[in-house]
Amino acid sequence: MDLALSEMQEMLKTTARDFLEKECPKSYVREMEVDEKGYKPELWEKIAGLGWLGLHFPEEYGGSDGSFLDLTVLLEEMGRACFPGPFFSTVVLSGLLVLDAANKQQKSDLLPKISSGELILALALTEPSNTYEPSGITLRAIPEGDGFVLDGTKLFVSDAHIADYIITVARTKEAATKEDGISLFLVDAKSPGLEATLLKTIGGDKQCEVIFDKVKVGRDNIIGELDGGWPVIKRALERAAIGKCAEMVGGGQQVMEMVVAYAKERQQFGRPIGSFQAIQFHCTNMLTDVDISRYLTYEAAWKLSEGLPHKIELAIAKAGVGDCYHRVVVTGHQVISGVGYIEDHDMHLYFNRAKAAELLFGSADFYREKLAQELGL
Amino acid sequence: MDFGFTKEEEEFRQEVRGFCQKEVTPELIEDYEREAGYTPRIWEFLRKLGARGWLAPQWPKEYGGLESDYMKKFIIEQEVTRAIGVRQAVRNVGNGMAGPIILRYGTEEQKKRFLPPIAKGEVEYCLGYTEPQAGSDLAALELRAAEALVGKGEVLAEEKGGYFIMNGQKMFNTAAHYAQFHWLGARTDWENPKKHRGISLFVVDLKSPGITIRPMKTMSDLMTNEVFYDDVKLPKANMIGEMNRGFYYIMEAVDLERVTPSGALEHIFGEMLKYVKETEINAKPLSKDPWVRQRLAQLQIEISSARLLDWRIAWMIHNNTVPNYQSAMSKAYSTELVQRIYNTWVDIMGLFGQLQPGSKWAPLGGRIEREHRRSVIETIYRGTSEIMRVIIAARGLELPRE
Repeated sequence: MDLALSEMQEMLKTTARDFLEKECPKSYVREMEVDEKGYKPELWEKIAGLGWLGLHFPEEYGGSDGSFLDLTVLLEEMGRACFPGPFFSTVVLSGLLVLDAANKQQKSDLLPKISSGELILALALTEPSNTYEPSGITLRAIPEGDGFVLDGTKLFVSDAHIADYIITVARTKEAATKEDGISLFLVDAKSPGLEATLLKTIGGDKQCEVIFDKVKVGRDNIIGELDGGWPVIKRALERAAIGKCAEMVGGGQQVMEMVVAYAKERQQFGRPIGSFQAIQFHCTNMLTDVDISRYLTYEAAWKLSEGLPHKIELAIAKAGVGDCYHRVVVTGHQVISGVGYIEDHDMHLYFNRAKAAELLFGSADFYREKLAQELGL
Repeated sequence: MDFGFTKEEEEFRQEVRGFCQKEVTPELIEDYEREAGYTPRIWEFLRKLGARGWLAPQWPKEYGGLESDYMKKFIIEQEVTRAIGVRQAVRNVGNGMAGPIILRYGTEEQKKRFLPPIAKGEVEYCLGYTEPQAGSDLAALELRAAEALVGKGEVLAEEKGGYFIMNGQKMFNTAAHYAQFHWLGARTDWENPKKHRGISLFVVDLKSPGITIRPMKTMSDLMTNEVFYDDVKLPKANMIGEMNRGFYYIMEAVDLERVTPSGALEHIFGEMLKYVKETEINAKPLSKDPWVRQRLAQLQIEISSARLLDWRIAWMIHNNTVPNYQSAMSKAYSTELVQRIYNTWVDIMGLFGQLQPGSKWAPLGGRIEREHRRSVIETIYRGTSEIMRVIIAARGLELPRE
């Protein structure tokens, strides 16, 4: 049992925190919320230079061979900073999916360019069906010539408007079980008939509606097995859910620190409000939620990283951490009170992202049901 | 990071598990659950643990320990509490509170005299801190230990060595009716305005003349007691550590004492899973009901959270770090969770949740109804949830007092 980060991970954490404090102040976060692209290419180049984009890729693909746990550490710091941009889409969702399921040629084509910051990828999974279950995949890919034609609508596709490629999850066969007949296509985002439109979301992130109107894609662009794409998506969702948990841990830690600092400083009735037990209890509950979130997340991340069974820990983490983060931001608002309600204050940045993170890749209720299944109920 | 055990630790875990499979019987569990005191079966079980050195594994061998690291102790507690479902099944007042202070501050003679019987499972201590006016504010305790020294013309002057004359009242002293010794905090300085600087610690034979034990019947089966001291004479050799330093010793020890093995929660939850799978309402197992599934999954999340808070403490102690706010956090979280578990279980039982032990129709012999009542005390004893939060606020967040 060792609940501490390794020396290397501590270094990564410190470097990431220092870098993001300097390069990603809240003024940048706010600017990117209204910026159409949602990121600055100069900053993207800098994080490529730091090796963050290829952190978990093998060296042969321009990566630095870091573990999933290392990536978790980095994501925690990104969550703390509300780091905007297509990192999650490109690396956590798409890059690791390519590494997991693509053929050698596809890996060689894509991964080095992701590592170097030349390519941005998005994963088009969810649809108006509003579910992460395989039954939700209705976008059809119909064979035509030596390729396929994609028809349908994807929703909540992060960063599709700036992506070079969109990994698109499509139904290639109507089968008795919904898991069967799903395939993954690497679609050039400039393909005729493909149109990505930004949605206005609570998290200020760049989620899109993507309409596929007879979009042609070659057979070579299938990632993994034809009709056998669902297990790949399941694994991608596992990584994404844990990655989101890490972001929530970082966000929760930052909110808690911000709130406790305020409670020590803010005077009412001639004394710091942090000396009142009502406020102290709010703060201790926040610390408890943040500490628990961290261990739930890292236990799941460690298991996944080590290749151990992790379904139970994952479901526990996504449901548990989402609920914890929700309580942390709500309590934080209560302690900071009126000031935190004003847009100039940073609290709302976290409040908004907390809700988005709770919903993305499966809500707490969704994972409680998954957990019930894993418990044999 | 490593959320697992080493190969050696895993082997030891299997050994403890094997021991429990053999030694933990339904009758033993029933005795523990009733919490009315140590029965002959419990004493026998403790002596078996003690014979292996498992009641105080980190203590030196000469006092009945194994000189092992903390992880071994942690594994024993996890496995035994998982088998029995009662969190105090291994850690009691003797090996968990009195013993560690005696080991640290006692004289060689005191260690040799008091520690081996604790480690062998032959004796239990009764915690004697709380008084009518001293609950959360422990420093307010008033039971007096007056020094009666040789040659000063006191009543006991003819005795060899020095004595204390003890007078006063303790309450909520839970093990007084079955423990052999009282682990007593008493006031030895009533002049000092700083109340916490006038308390000392004593080991008292509960059979001493002048001690009266009066039962306090609780709202559950749990028994507790008032203990009255009426001119009880106590040899000075029974004072542990320095005079008037007791409060500090207590505070130092509580961070280690507030470890609450999460193994018991896993035991309880396992039984709950079994219950919802086997119980039908409207010809459908409870486990297929969506809200039952949600509530049980939520409890599993919280049990994992409690386990990880517990692991953190074990990991810290194992690496020679004294837990600070972490123990208070774990205590508050896990005890509040125990209440939620039983409350949920009674809710799931519906109307049957009301039926008490001994009732016709009572599910699981009415145990859950009883545990639900018993669990009220969880967030109160060993430091209330509010005191835990005050500790977390001060030590974990450094929030100001005023």
